[in-house]
Amino acid sequence: MSRRYDSRTTIFSPEGRLYQVEYAMEAIGNAGSAIGILAKDGVVLVGEKKVTSKLLQTSTSTEKMYKIDDHVACAVAGIMSDANILINTARVQAQRYTFAYQEPMPVEQLVQSLCDTKQGYTQYGGLRPFGVSFLFAGWDKNYGFQLYMSDPSGNYGGWKAAAIGANNQAAQSILKQDYKDEISREEAIQLALKVLSKTMDSTSLTSDKLELAEVFLMPSGNVKYQVCSADSLNKLLAKFGVAQPSTEA
Amino acid sequence: MSIFEYNGSALIAMVGKNCFAIASDRRLGVQLQTIATDFQRIYKVHDKLFLGLSGLATDAQTLYQRLVFKHKLYQLREERDMKPETFASLVSALLYEKRFGPYFCQPVIAGLGDEDKPFICTMDSIGAKELAKDFVVAGTASESLYGACESMFKPDMESEELFETVSQALLSSVDRDCLSGWGGHVYVVTPTEIRERILKGRMD
Amino acid sequence: MEVLLGITTSTSTIVVASKAAMRGATILKTSDDKTIILNPHTLMAFSGEAGDTLNFSEYIAANTALYSMRNDAHLSPSATASFIREELARSLRSRKPYNVNLLLGGVDPISKEPGLWWLDYLASSARVPYAAHGYAQYYCLSILDKHHHPSISEDRGLEILRMCTDELQRRLPIDFKGMTVKIVGQEGIREIPWDMSRPIMAA
Repeated sequence: MSRRYDSRTTIFSPEGRLYQVEYAMEAIGNAGSAIGILAKDGVVLVGEKKVTSKLLQTSTSTEKMYKIDDHVACAVAGIMSDANILINTARVQAQRYTFAYQEPMPVEQLVQSLCDTKQGYTQYGGLRPFGVSFLFAGWDKNYGFQLYMSDPSGNYGGWKAAAIGANNQAAQSILKQDYKDEISREEAIQLALKVLSKTMDSTSLTSDKLELAEVFLMPSGNVKYQVCSADSLNKLLAKFGVAQPSTEA
Repeated sequence: MSIFEYNGSALIAMVGKNCFAIASDRRLGVQLQTIATDFQRIYKVHDKLFLGLSGLATDAQTLYQRLVFKHKLYQLREERDMKPETFASLVSALLYEKRFGPYFCQPVIAGLGDEDKPFICTMDSIGAKELAKDFVVAGTASESLYGACESMFKPDMESEELFETVSQALLSSVDRDCLSGWGGHVYVVTPTEIRERILKGRMD
Repeated sequence: MEVLLGITTSTSTIVVASKAAMRGATILKTSDDKTIILNPHTLMAFSGEAGDTLNFSEYIAANTALYSMRNDAHLSPSATASFIREELARSLRSRKPYNVNLLLGGVDPISKEPGLWWLDYLASSARVPYAAHGYAQYYCLSILDKHHHPSISEDRGLEILRMCTDELQRRLPIDFKGMTVKIVGQEGIREIPWDMSRPIMAA
């Protein structure tokens, strides 16, 4: 029955659903997960790397984290080829804004412009929605540090802590329990790693299965996006005691 | 009067030993009327690459904004800074795009390339590159700048001496040009640091 | 002989424009307002070719208003200046460029810093402590060079402005029918009356 309403993304089913969009979300449910946590002095993004073959030559330094502009970065879950298109769109949008106004694009505007693109693919005919969810971490002068989550339908929202990808519901519920307001960046990293250690399939966390990135302000007042090196990530894992196989699992 | 002389400008870039200096005047005028005395003509592209734009102020601003746009996307895509040689080609291509309605600018590009080798170059308003080993000049004070640089330049200067030479060349040249002046803005760039100084000259 | 003047003080920006609307040697109107409010902390004054000025400034005002509505936030004065510059620069290389000179005065809503931008019809833009367009440049910039300082109070700014308008009244061959004086302060934009009926010492 449902098949009749599957072929076109732009047609509602009798229950008022858009199946293609829901299938896209389903696709993301199998992708490597990512967690974002808003701290009082920055935003933390942690991602689970799925491709860990030693033979793979990567073209970029990170698999799931992308810098959009000096003040915004994102974590991706879903189909990477789709994500690449969107990331490029976002980068161009951010630069267009800077070209016109000579100041960085406000984070929410950037997220919104990207979600407008995503939304377009759920409405115009002959196209398939983007199979990507994003977490955006950024800072702007109006609202300070911000974290946004977006899905293939083009919906987005601001969050204090959010998870996308595999097991995101389990991750969300742990975050809901353990998140405290006014959390520091270091505590946020600890929390994010703890959540991942519980929701990831593998028994132990290692630096080659993880990516960690932060957005924070430097003493000079400039925004900095920093990806954690494998070495310091290993040290963090040991420090927070999540490197060993989880006893609760 | 040429449109290149409408706002007035003076630019100079010079090579030293593993370093370079780039300097400009600070005047923005409309013919003989001075509008601003702290106008920026030199822009930092990244830590080891600077761009000076002489000529019509509006085109200098537009050109700079377009170059930032393109360079930023390059940086994000490639996850590295652009080499000065590459950047010079980018500027050249952008200028030639407007071959039959050019930006009325003469750019000066200075940077540290591979192994921190200094690179300087200038080009005309339609992007014909002119590479030099010693110094390049541009703007309404370019004639006097040529003379000053020709007599003051020495190869392989250390950064402090280079700063002195560039500053003296700039200040003595703009005093012979009524469209540029109001002090100077000098950057001396070594592999480890950027030294930026504001010069006072004849403030009239 | 339109007069545009702008002066920054430590807390505010004063934007001034002459009230006469002229066509050739004829004065058509004596209560012309050559300023337009872009948002609660940004004010633009314009002069130049008759049709272009209003058309361009209304276009800018509409676009800044659209930005405010769309994004629930006002553009900062510096962002507005960049936006205007970009629009003018694009117009410059179009089939029929706008012939408009502008002054943009504002107070940054976050840093509370007052600012003034000078833009000409070629879309050259400069942030300046004080500025003028047209003949006012010849008479006022020297006065401002001597008396202005970025740290002056608003009252002192108005005193210096009085020196400028007195000089204009004394030296300009055509009566420009008084001045519109608007102040962009910390609490928004307000207009103040500017009495020009006082006798001025002859040149």
